[in-house]
Amino acid sequence: MAAMARAATTSDAFNAIAEPQRRDILALLRSGERPVTDLARELGISQPGASKHLRVLREVGLVRVRGAGKQRLYGLDARGLKPIHEWVGGFEQFWAGSFDRLETYVQDLKQTRQEQ
Amino acid sequence: MSGTGREVRTGPSAADREIVIDRIIDAPPELVFEAFTEVRHLSQWWGPEGFTTTTRSFEFREGAVWDFVMHGPDGTDYPEWITWTEIVPPERITLLHGESGDDPNSFESFLTFAPDGAATRIVMRTVFPTRELRDQAVEKYGAIEGGRQTLAGLAAYVTGTGRKQGIH
Repeated sequence: MAAMARAATTSDAFNAIAEPQRRDILALLRSGERPVTDLARELGISQPGASKHLRVLREVGLVRVRGAGKQRLYGLDARGLKPIHEWVGGFEQFWAGSFDRLETYVQDLKQTRQEQ
Repeated sequence: MSGTGREVRTGPSAADREIVIDRIIDAPPELVFEAFTEVRHLSQWWGPEGFTTTTRSFEFREGAVWDFVMHGPDGTDYPEWITWTEIVPPERITLLHGESGDDPNSFESFLTFAPDGAATRIVMRTVFPTRELRDQAVEKYGAIEGGRQTLAGLAAYVTGTGRKQGIH
């Protein structure tokens, strides 16, 4: 396993979000665009630290940036989220949803059996 | 009744082409297992909320098939062809998922039902022939799931479609 090649953090969205602070940044950006100073303050990290995380997130297409006057605003980028959504949202969610219903159904079945 | 399953043979190298989902259900394994054994049970829970199934044929024994159509909440129909490859009540079920009997992209799921106190721990380990086929299946199910998921809503928000609906 040690020899198994790992995708670089900068080319793989899944590796990029393995870092907890980068996930925190994405969570903060869910409510809208923010400048790096805001993000650094919210996370209690230095601005260069936050900038470094943002650069990684931009490289994998999870975050985009635009200039707004003197500010640079960072926001979520749907392109990078798509593979993550498909991964967690597709097969896994389908079965999690099925098992939710299985759970309910089995409880009904149990109830019916106890009444018999 | 072998204690170790076929899944052991696939070894750790399967990690990039498998998906494991587990769940604790507050009922004994016999009862959870039973929910897989008849159409009248399966049709009550197969697929997430909003999905229904229409069965063409069903038989629950090793080598037999459940041939059905799954109807998505948006009205899309998906042909499904499940072959039961191993049945060990109430411990395990191995099944092959496909769209038809000769689907070359079929993939296998290993379901185990283990007692956990008075409850059952159900583990579903799905192994795809290749990583590419795993990604394809994930995409297909992603499409099936449509816009139901939180992250889909998030994607809609960031592309601006959500904003028009007043999501803040």
